[in-house]
Amino acid sequence: MKIRAVVNGAAVEKEIDGSKRLIDFLREDLGLTGTKEGCSEGECGACTVILNGEAVPSCLVLAGQIQGGEILTIEGLEKNGELDLLQKKFISHGAIQCGFCTPGFLMSAKALFMKNPHPSSEEIRRAIEGNICRCTGYIKIVEAIEDAAKEME
Amino acid sequence: MKQFKYIGKRFQREDSLERAEGKTKFLADCKRLNMLYGKLILSEHAHADFQLDTEEALKVPGVYKILTYEDIPHVAYNSMEWFTGIQAQRDEYILNERARFVGDRIGLILAESKEACEKAWCKVKVQYQDLPVVADLQTAQEDRILVRGKTNLAYEKNIGYGDLANAEAEADFIVEDRGSTPRTHHLAIEPHIAMAEVDDFGNLVVYSPGQVVFAAQMQLSRILHLSYARIRVIKCNMGGSFGGKQQPLLELTAGVAAWLTQRPVQIYMNRRESMIGTFTRNGTEARVATAVRKDGKILERKVDTCFDGGAYDTNNTSIVNAYAKKLFRLYRIPAQEFHGRAYYTDKTPGGACRAYGGPQNHAITEVNIDHAARVIGMDPCEFRLKNLVEPYDADPVGGPNLGKAAVKECLRKGMEAFHWKEKYAHIREQNNDRYAYGVGVACADHGNGYFGAFPEFTNVEMILHPDGTALVKIAVHEQGCGTLDSLRLTAAEALDLAPEKITITEADTLLTPYDSAGTQASRVTFVSSGAILQAGNQLREKIFQTLHEVEKIEPDLLYTDNGTVKVKGSDKTYTYGEIATLREKKMFDPLSVYIHYEPHSNPAAYAVSFAQVKVDKKTGLVEVQKLLAVHDIGQAVNPTLVEGQIQGGAQFILGMALSEELVYDSKGNVKNSSLSKYHTLNVQDMPPVDIILVESHDESSPFGVKSVGEMSAVAPGPAVVNAINHALGTELTDYPLTPERIIEALEQKG
Repeated sequence: MKIRAVVNGAAVEKEIDGSKRLIDFLREDLGLTGTKEGCSEGECGACTVILNGEAVPSCLVLAGQIQGGEILTIEGLEKNGELDLLQKKFISHGAIQCGFCTPGFLMSAKALFMKNPHPSSEEIRRAIEGNICRCTGYIKIVEAIEDAAKEME
Repeated sequence: MKQFKYIGKRFQREDSLERAEGKTKFLADCKRLNMLYGKLILSEHAHADFQLDTEEALKVPGVYKILTYEDIPHVAYNSMEWFTGIQAQRDEYILNERARFVGDRIGLILAESKEACEKAWCKVKVQYQDLPVVADLQTAQEDRILVRGKTNLAYEKNIGYGDLANAEAEADFIVEDRGSTPRTHHLAIEPHIAMAEVDDFGNLVVYSPGQVVFAAQMQLSRILHLSYARIRVIKCNMGGSFGGKQQPLLELTAGVAAWLTQRPVQIYMNRRESMIGTFTRNGTEARVATAVRKDGKILERKVDTCFDGGAYDTNNTSIVNAYAKKLFRLYRIPAQEFHGRAYYTDKTPGGACRAYGGPQNHAITEVNIDHAARVIGMDPCEFRLKNLVEPYDADPVGGPNLGKAAVKECLRKGMEAFHWKEKYAHIREQNNDRYAYGVGVACADHGNGYFGAFPEFTNVEMILHPDGTALVKIAVHEQGCGTLDSLRLTAAEALDLAPEKITITEADTLLTPYDSAGTQASRVTFVSSGAILQAGNQLREKIFQTLHEVEKIEPDLLYTDNGTVKVKGSDKTYTYGEIATLREKKMFDPLSVYIHYEPHSNPAAYAVSFAQVKVDKKTGLVEVQKLLAVHDIGQAVNPTLVEGQIQGGAQFILGMALSEELVYDSKGNVKNSSLSKYHTLNVQDMPPVDIILVESHDESSPFGVKSVGEMSAVAPGPAVVNAINHALGTELTDYPLTPERIIEALEQKG
């Protein structure tokens, strides 16, 4: 099928098998390898991307399902050469260790901020409860997101 | 105490920018022209002979070959061996003729795409002829069914000291506990993967997101009968290991496949394959008996432990010895005896796992210490204070001196900060019909590398370039914890040069100097920063010597200042870059040193954890409300990274205490080989973690540093179990304390 979607702000049109997983479409057809695969069943959150404003595990979405939709991946967070506030806070708080889960956490947090720029600590935890990190114990990740929430305009 | 310029300060990690941008290339993000993908066919039966029917699979477009044991050099190896001086039982093969666990490697699909691999995998038919299965330690010990050879006993070790009979005679009580710890999965979020190719000169090049490039080179040299010089192993980016990638595995599969096909090969695993088909933490069953006197003195301890080694010999010797040595470096006990036995079972081989044996050992011994305190009616902290080691105590079984052991200081500081006395005496007053509250404490010890046990050294080449930047060639493996950044700060300190001007390499067998053991055993910060300090000192001497020889300035007048050399009583300044140029131009020599470094000590690192829990007596769910981690860290290199280790270590080991376990049925099937069924702590489960760093500055250590990464993943486990037992009045010793186990204990208690 012919897929038409907006990925990281740019129109994309590709002839693909509609039953392909979204993660494979992003990584293989579009070369957007920032989205990571950790469990292939929507449990680890490493493959989280934002589809029409919602954080979704891209391993459980079929490429056909994004028809006409809008996708934001980790590669689309930076705007005009400037890091997203969340990215800056992850770096300054030491919220990144091996970095494999990081894009997924950032996209979950970004989806939250898109809907709710001033989330509570509990809302932040809810937003990232589907993301697993084995390195950090989550504490610096929560601190980074909380700090970003404080600075959100 | 020496004031440091860089060490001890909070620096942002240099590699975190590209990680935040998603630009870091992990192996799964890399491709090579003409590359084949490889997917292993893993056995679905725990012990069986088998025939592979690959006819339909081979018809899948894009499938290149399906290899079996017959296509692979029949060379046995032991993936735990990291240098040629160790010879364990070698019984692992790249591909196997008989399956000995669910997850054993019985075939390898090579195809032009992952899609073709997956399609072919679905079409491979395997006919199994089942053989009897040893799925638990009890069956293994009976020796009725044999995994291999004449007995399932793979390794046995007795070690002890002191007058046991005398101690027992003097004791008022002998407090005994039996307990068990589970097999757990490391759960690096990056599943296992490796890539290999043959370069333009016909050499084999292997990309390893692992911890031991030189060991992978050694193993491949043996398997392929290829000289070391023709094999290059490069550490690539890694998405976590925790010991799971400490034994080379897919590096060997990819290396052999690339060599046989003369094409680039990337072997990948999915989550289930990583969970069943690599390595796990060894499960254990232990009996601990401690002889105590009423006044609180521990007189003697006997520890008897069985280890579930899995289907191959792999780490049987390592796990028993690593577990044993940590028994002797925490308490002053006049007599101790350890008896350890590792058994073969038809299960995934055991392997290194964060804190190697420490989590299993302290899991039971620290619960036993609490039990003993209860028996003599003493506060568990006071009881520990009466028995913990003192600074510079000897290791009673001949290991290295304990060094400036500050475990008592950790305990005292923690008691105060946690308000231990008040909580321990009163927290249960909050108990009601539904909830019970309790607090617990636990202590633990760990090492700093292999000094005292195995060859322990590292070589470093340090170069100051004419542009004023420094390159430190050293074979370390970044696992995510910030090793490179920690070492950058130690190099900055050693050279008096800003960290951003320093590059630390990752291990590469062709380019980085030889290192004795890889990034394991909590050796890196301790050993490598010692090497960097030595190299830095020598390089600074060379800097002064250059100015002495070329500019005729007396070395006594020279001092460094942030990448420059200044002259006392003069306003002359030379940058390091200028000096490098002077040296090359006038002395025909680059400004560099190559050094060999051996540490001459191995002080013990310590941690004490305090936990507060709320247990739901109706559901059995445990909420860890507070955790305080106190670490005798010697000297924190970068406190931000240290905190990250301690917080992550807590997540790791609270999982073993509360929910993580690979569950096997009697046929050896893993019942929870997916993340939906294997429960690790998510953000909602994590307690706040308060941290106190006790900077004891061990004099024998470079910059005073001691280990933390592994050390952090031990004490929180038994602290939480002790807190649960405090809350409920139970004596639970079987990890993990799942809701089912807690409800069962409450029902038994009535």
